[in-house]
Amino acid sequence: MKTLLWLQGLTCNGNTQSLLNAENPYIYEIFSKINLLYHPSLSIENNLNEIIDKILDKEIKLDFLIVEGAITKNKNFCKIGNYSISDLVNKLKDKAEYIIAVGNCAVHGNLPAVYRENKDICGLQFKFEEKKGLLPSDFKTKSGYPVINITGCPIHPAWFTQVLMALYYDRKISLDKFNRPKEIFMYLPHDGCTRNEYFEWKTEAEEFGHKEGCLFYNLGCRGPMTHAPCNKILWNRISSKTRAGMPCIGCTEFNFPVRENFFDTKKNMGIPEDIPLGVSKRAYIMISGVAKTLKNERVSKKLEDTE
Amino acid sequence: MAKVEKRILNRVEGEVELKLVWEKGRIKDAFIIAPNFRGFEFILENKPLLDALVITPRVCGICGHAHLIATTNALENLYRENGYEIEVSQKAQLIRNITLSCEIIQNHIRWFYLFVIPDFLKFNTDLKDFYPIKGEKWRKAVYYSSKIVKIIAIFGGQWPHTSYSIPGGVMCEPTQMELMEAISIVDNVLEYFENDVIGMNIDDYFSIKFLEEFLEKSKGDLKKIIEEAIKLGFSDIGKAYDRFLTVCNVSPFISQGVTRRKKCNFDVSKVEEIETFSFLENGKSKFSKGKYSWAKAPRYEGKPFETGPLARRINNEDELFINLTKNFKGYYIPRIWARVDEIGKILVAIKKYLLNINLNEPSYIKPKVDIKNLEGQAYGFCEAARGSLIHKVIAKEGKIEKYDIITPTVWNLGTRCKNYLSPAEKAIIGLSDKLKAEMVVRSFDVCSVCTTH
Ligand code: SF4
Ligand code: SF4
Repeated sequence: MKTLLWLQGLTCNGNTQSLLNAENPYIYEIFSKINLLYHPSLSIENNLNEIIDKILDKEIKLDFLIVEGAITKNKNFCKIGNYSISDLVNKLKDKAEYIIAVGNCAVHGNLPAVYRENKDICGLQFKFEEKKGLLPSDFKTKSGYPVINITGCPIHPAWFTQVLMALYYDRKISLDKFNRPKEIFMYLPHDGCTRNEYFEWKTEAEEFGHKEGCLFYNLGCRGPMTHAPCNKILWNRISSKTRAGMPCIGCTEFNFPVRENFFDTKKNMGIPEDIPLGVSKRAYIMISGVAKTLKNERVSKKLEDTE
Repeated sequence: MAKVEKRILNRVEGEVELKLVWEKGRIKDAFIIAPNFRGFEFILENKPLLDALVITPRVCGICGHAHLIATTNALENLYRENGYEIEVSQKAQLIRNITLSCEIIQNHIRWFYLFVIPDFLKFNTDLKDFYPIKGEKWRKAVYYSSKIVKIIAIFGGQWPHTSYSIPGGVMCEPTQMELMEAISIVDNVLEYFENDVIGMNIDDYFSIKFLEEFLEKSKGDLKKIIEEAIKLGFSDIGKAYDRFLTVCNVSPFISQGVTRRKKCNFDVSKVEEIETFSFLENGKSKFSKGKYSWAKAPRYEGKPFETGPLARRINNEDELFINLTKNFKGYYIPRIWARVDEIGKILVAIKKYLLNINLNEPSYIKPKVDIKNLEGQAYGFCEAARGSLIHKVIAKEGKIEKYDIITPTVWNLGTRCKNYLSPAEKAIIGLSDKLKAEMVVRSFDVCSVCTTH
């Protein structure tokens, strides 16, 4: 049986909580296939040190090392028994077949890395945008992959479980420039959003609380500039922020914790400062201009009143 | 000679350390150590006010929604403190209650089956159904606790970590059909609660006033665990101070109050946070001798108070629980029972909230004044899964100057002050068994990430 060990650094545990919501496979289905060596919230015994010793003595082979939470060497700020989270990662990094960082904290440092009193907080292989994490930029695990990064604050469980299953079945996965699985992070929340029709016709929501209107132009939606399949793999298999009416806040990107005014679109002379990925500003201005001059009956009414 | 022993406590939200001082085979002194610190109150400084709606939920992965509601309340109160009316429709208020309630149910189910019950397996291996990962009961707990948060996804887009509630209302505009989906989820989880958890009809359960009556009528998991606990001698252990604090009213089953012998109204001006034993002092880290945890020590009129579902039952003057605190000299069993009991009360309430939503009301009423114009300070209160949550925001020039968060777990599991141990520390003094001591600490529903934030 393949094995999995879960460590937590500086975290809110949101990725673990999110993982408990997983469907297809459910968490107990995963751990019927894969032997869960230890997880701080789920394990019955408190035997992390014993397990680590056995891994180091090669009594146990470690397939998947999962890290949730930001990394620091400073034991005053994060301690697991007598060790820091970076001690534990360093002990195990050459033993694991794969290392998977789950959540923006483990990948980029995220909110904990913004705290000014502890400056050494980072992700496993990145600190924000730069490859300045705990592990060297050219680090690779035994399998030949760098740390595989699943971003998100928190992760959607399926982003993790589908990747885990692919590796479990020895399939190859390709990664993007932040070492995120391409097949997950090649989509944008914008893809599949129920408000797309409004985006197309530049019908912008002026304020919150409506199922109609696109949230891009006034309310800060990052859907067209963020890598995440939130409207393809729905959250809790039910919905997504943008479907419900909340702007995407770009929680899968490295700059999530340093961006400000999440519910406001930054504009210069009426043009959004950040425009949808893949188009030039000129193209965006032209196409919006055209869309605005043409009226679409449907998007100008409450949905209940449309034909 | 006193012997000092350190133990890590896992199977809680985040890890904590217990430092136990033993003398003559009993715990003479106990320190609960929360060793991890992220500095959320400092990360919030200088951020635009509304960004707190995005940042504070990330304090905690299991009760982040409660932080969102506390922030919303604090910001709405900031409008009021500045002399502006802020209107929130009843619809928006109900939707907020619904999503917060769903998070609490999720928490209580996971806590009972994933964190508390596994300890009983160490005494009784017959409880195989409850075994982590493999056991049918464990699996059902994961299934139904995940099912209930689908309702949060209907209104807020996702759980964990949505920020769909904002001063003036909520961001969603649900349709009738979506309400129907939510109702069917509540019905389904309620059926599970009746069949598995309490093992009886919910109305019959609510009519119960005495322990014996419950043990006689119930066929559920709760009864099984209570019987195990009684058998193992938990009837007499786990009492803290017999002082209980609840900061909010949640109609119809939670009423605010402070009970010690008799009940008074809660008054926030009587709350203070003592930093003597905390690594955090005056906003700076300090590791001098005697300091042992990142948590502070909140006190009400100078005294430690227990908060959480048991406190809510006592402050609500719930007959069953007043009787239980007489039956049991220790509060381990009433504390566990109160959490599980709340699942039923909340499920019934959510269904009422859902049926009472008037979809013609607005979801959001834009505040007349831009939040950037607000100054001064305001509080936001919330009853979260683990108890009373207090946020305090101080605004200057449209930004957060200071943000203070007092979580339920810091009331229960924080540090001591000169005169008093924290409630959970107090609750394990005198015990002779370390596993039982750990179980008593877990009965407070430990969340180290909230305790320090
Ligand atoms: S709300 Fe956001 S994700 Fe949806 S269509 Fe508009 S820009 Fe795209
Ligand atoms: S919609 Fe945006 S903010 Fe929400 S989870 Fe997806 S990427 Fe994160």
